[in-house]
Amino acid sequence: MHAACAAAVPDCRTVAGMKSARIDLPDPLDARIGQLQRQLARERKARQAAEAIAESGLRDLYESNRLLALLQRITDCANATDTLIDALDFTLGEICAEMGWDFGNAYLVHSNLEAIPCDCWHVANPDHLMPFVEASHTASFPSGMGLPGQVVADRRAHWIDDVRTDANFLRRDVAIACRVVGGCAFPIMAGGEVVGIYEFFSRRSISANACVIETMAQIAIQLGRVAEREYTREALLRDALHDPLTTLPNRVLLHERASSAFSRLRPDQRGLAVMVIDLDGFKAVNDKFGHDAGDCLLVATAARLRDAIDECVGGESVCRMRDADHQRANKTRATLARTGGDEFVVLLENIADEDLPVTIAASLLAELTLPFSIGRDEVAIGASIGIAQSNPTYRDYDEVQRDADLAMYEAKAAGRGKTVTFTEALGTEVRQRMSLERDLREAITEQQFVLHYQAILDLGTSTVLGFEALVRWNHPRHGLIAPNDFIPTAEETGLIVFIGDWVLREACKAIGRLQTKGRDRNTPLFIAVNIAPQQFLQPDFVPYLRAMIMETGIPAECLKLEVTEGVAVLDAERTRRVLEQCRDIGIRVGLDDFGTGYSSLSYLHSLPFDTIKIDRAFVAALDQSKSRKIVRTILDLAGDLDLTVVAEGIETAEQQAALTAMGCEMGQGFLLSMPLDEAAAFKLLP
Amino acid sequence: MKGIIFNLLEDVMNHAHGHHAWPDLVDSAGVSGAYTSLGSYPDEHLLALTDTAAAVLGLSSADMLRWFGRSAMPLLATRFPQFFAAHRHARSFVCSVNAIIHPEVRKLYAGAGCPHFHFTDRDDGALIIAYQSPRRLCPLVEGFVAGASDHYGETVAMEHLTCMLHAQPLCRIAARWPA
Repeated sequence: MHAACAAAVPDCRTVAGMKSARIDLPDPLDARIGQLQRQLARERKARQAAEAIAESGLRDLYESNRLLALLQRITDCANATDTLIDALDFTLGEICAEMGWDFGNAYLVHSNLEAIPCDCWHVANPDHLMPFVEASHTASFPSGMGLPGQVVADRRAHWIDDVRTDANFLRRDVAIACRVVGGCAFPIMAGGEVVGIYEFFSRRSISANACVIETMAQIAIQLGRVAEREYTREALLRDALHDPLTTLPNRVLLHERASSAFSRLRPDQRGLAVMVIDLDGFKAVNDKFGHDAGDCLLVATAARLRDAIDECVGGESVCRMRDADHQRANKTRATLARTGGDEFVVLLENIADEDLPVTIAASLLAELTLPFSIGRDEVAIGASIGIAQSNPTYRDYDEVQRDADLAMYEAKAAGRGKTVTFTEALGTEVRQRMSLERDLREAITEQQFVLHYQAILDLGTSTVLGFEALVRWNHPRHGLIAPNDFIPTAEETGLIVFIGDWVLREACKAIGRLQTKGRDRNTPLFIAVNIAPQQFLQPDFVPYLRAMIMETGIPAECLKLEVTEGVAVLDAERTRRVLEQCRDIGIRVGLDDFGTGYSSLSYLHSLPFDTIKIDRAFVAALDQSKSRKIVRTILDLAGDLDLTVVAEGIETAEQQAALTAMGCEMGQGFLLSMPLDEAAAFKLLP
Repeated sequence: MKGIIFNLLEDVMNHAHGHHAWPDLVDSAGVSGAYTSLGSYPDEHLLALTDTAAAVLGLSSADMLRWFGRSAMPLLATRFPQFFAAHRHARSFVCSVNAIIHPEVRKLYAGAGCPHFHFTDRDDGALIIAYQSPRRLCPLVEGFVAGASDHYGETVAMEHLTCMLHAQPLCRIAARWPA
């Protein structure tokens, strides 16, 4: 018990220690309070930590919402804007306002070479900042130079924490003077190239946090899309307005410029000229060397024309200035356009010297005289140029162009390498010709032609041997028109072929009707028909003749064709073949108007004619010995070559007697018979 | 009133008068007492708390608010050092309140009704701080200005030129920092 007691009681020190420990032990309430206080402190700490986390999240969320809203506004603007400048204009203001930056400025970049000012900037707070603004919005920066140049070179954003310490910041002095501190610049990319830069400056340092960097990059993408759209639209416009081969303006752009220039003419309406240039001989090169060679030739020609015009006008022939610049310049301006396959037009504006177009035309023609090299070949081409100058009679540009075209056709008709300037007289002449041509076309479809017949007589017996069919145009307004007044135009326009075919068909029908009259004759009556060279040389002329004879059932020997020497001049070999084919069919052929043209003996010798006709000029002058000698010579020659001879234009009994005396067998003329309508003419027959 | 103000008051009371001070104050003022910095609470709660504290400490309500503002500034400097680091003088710090501090406050505490101050330089070098708010907490403003001056080791002398507490339309406080 004692032992147990002794063991159970601690020594006093121990007891004292225990007692003291027991005193320090918190009583249950204090312990609870202390615990709760610690718990409260922990809870407060946790709350504050939670608040800090929430605050940080809220701040980030606020920032990102703000930047998203900024991006949204700029995206909306970018979607609704056509040009990069317009989009930048809006963007600079929005970013300055949202970011609290003082100054935003933009540059355009061409070919990754240089940031050039585009007069697009925004100052949020102009106080004391204008010198820096002035130094910025007018400056250019080559790649690598200064903040914009660095962005061009590196193709990424750059930030300047402090302009005072950035060695490559070229505007440092003025920036310091304006108390600018921070800056940043961003590239705008389109099609893989830097096309623009936008930069910002602030009097405070600009912090480059990830959210801002990302937003600026997104904004740059939006701006890049605007630029891409703008470039695509420009390219489409360029393609629509330029000839892809020569890159010259096309007809559409020419017309646009010319119409605009016409509307800006001075009150006297002078100072504008149009030159239409049509290449001579281009088609031959194209046909001979192929289209690729033709294209090369066109490109080379365009370059020569451009150079020549530049030299004359003293500037760019293909003007690239903006229209507004132009009105300021008010100097002579030339636009070279390609308006067709081998047709170019020069529009001249603000001409002081009326002779300038002619001077330019001479220079252009001189430029084209040197041959062009195509591969190992050399080719020569020329040009026909028509010029028209504005004057008060013109109501619009199209009328000037129309007259220049007309002048060009005149130049073309006059042969290669000619220049014709339009005049009122030329206009009248051509308009009459064109009106005649229109009427002629109508005459062909409306069958307004009639045939008259002039008898051809045996001069010895005065009996009718046949007739010459002569075409008359029974014009609905002008009455009967003689061949001399329309055949030349018909020949120029090619309409002669249609008229000729009709004449031939009608003559053949008339021969059919004539057959009943001449049944009891020894020699059948004939009708002579004049054939124009173009008709005679038609590839299907002989088949057509055959078809006519088959169709009308007439004896071929009753049809006589009369051609002039002109056919032989055009193509002697072909003429010979056609003549032979005619003879094979049985048709006889006479040489008309002998003695007036070339009268080449070689034709007479080599071409198988049956008859020659002595021109009326010799008959009319038979009282002169010189003419008489010529007629005698022709008759001798015809006798030697076994050709029969017809004298035309016999108007007096003396002429008939003289011709008969010289041995001329046949003749025609007013003395013997006037040209008459068919019924009257056929009445001459017994 | 934003919860952050209540948190600041809690901190300064506990700091100055021991950790019982705040629970005592909350109980005495009869307010809910649960405030998080992110929440918004009735203005009356703050006035009940400061008026109660003023009564216990034997201060006027205005002096209580002045003391609160001045004492809160070191806590703010700990919590938001970036606002203070950008300045070297109390004057420029005070002037940045509209442009920087309040926008930042609005970021954190949606719907915070921050007052707008108008600053003008008087010819004699004094900064005239114009303040207008239905809360009429101009003494708190004075306290904050004094606290900011303490932060930059400066002394400031303030004078109320006009005061809403004296039935005038706005408060104009002239603050002078002797060089």
